[in-house]
Amino acid sequence: MAALSHLVDNLVVNTFELDGPCVHIGRHPDNTIQIDEISVSARHAHIDVEPNAYLEGTIDYYITDDNSTNGTFVNDIRIDGRQRLNNNDVVRIGWNLFRFVDEEENTLEKTAFILEE
Amino acid sequence: MTLIATGLTDIGTRRVSNQDAIAWHVCPDSTRALGIVADGMGGYKGGEIASQVAVNVITQVLVPLINQPPVDDAAQVRAIRDAVNEANEQIQALREEDPVLGNMGTTIVLVWIQGSDALVAHIGDSRCYHLSGDQLDLKTRDDTVVQNMIDDGSISEAEAPRMPFRNVLTQALGSNEAAEPSLCRLQLARGDRLLLCSDGLTEAVPEADWPGLIPARVPLREQANTLINTSLENQAADNVSVVLILKES
Repeated sequence: MAALSHLVDNLVVNTFELDGPCVHIGRHPDNTIQIDEISVSARHAHIDVEPNAYLEGTIDYYITDDNSTNGTFVNDIRIDGRQRLNNNDVVRIGWNLFRFVDEEENTLEKTAFILEE
Repeated sequence: MTLIATGLTDIGTRRVSNQDAIAWHVCPDSTRALGIVADGMGGYKGGEIASQVAVNVITQVLVPLINQPPVDDAAQVRAIRDAVNEANEQIQALREEDPVLGNMGTTIVLVWIQGSDALVAHIGDSRCYHLSGDQLDLKTRDDTVVQNMIDDGSISEAEAPRMPFRNVLTQALGSNEAAEPSLCRLQLARGDRLLLCSDGLTEAVPEADWPGLIPARVPLREQANTLINTSLENQAADNVSVVLILKES
């Protein structure tokens, strides 16, 4: 299962497993991942966890900003729609940094292969 | 009416074998032509064999037809389907004979031109582009998981190069019971070029650079050279292949 690792000064201080179908991130205690910090909106962003429609056994993780005040960034680019997360992406929620880790993704990396019928 | 064709393939800078295979043929009066690019996969040995078998079989079936007077549209489609099916069967037979080749397969993109009419067929992610002046148009749709996800809106085209499974094909010659090439027809004006390539080229040199790199006034062979050399300068990680066909007059 993929996870979001909370980074402080480049060190992992907490790891949240992304257990679907939807992981909510925000300052409010209702959220699956609560970040009690001023730059984070009450309901800041969410991650949809969905099986890939074409590749059996692959799970896709899509992050969406929920009209937060300070924005959601993937690799320093502010997202304005739903975006798929890839292994090692750096996600910023307000001023809080996370690393998206999806170890299963590595097994497919650069392996040219064919879906057998 | 004159068609000119050329092609080049290179191992690239990081691979230990060239698993691409290419072929081209222009009939004696230069009014009909065939071009093929295949990109094999399935291990060091299998990839080379699959692409070479595909190119050999398809060439053997189609070249005699291209040397004859033009055939009608239906016969052309039938002949391409027969050639691709024959290649599929031969690759599958080899897979069954030798376990080392058990998962080999290949992409294929081919074009058969009769005068101004071009028929493009493809399976996998090898591509055909139409170059008209500086205008570059992709005429094939990749048979890949990533292309499916772009088409259904799951990801944007900009996200595609970062996708972990961007090389996963949904169809390849030799790996499916039935080979079902996608077909597309187009018209060539005087001076137009068709470019067939493996994904080694698209990954190493941005498409937007191509028209500037290969201006139409340069001899066709030199254009192919430039594309390959630019790929190598950009440290092409994969094998790189191009076949270019020009409708000169």
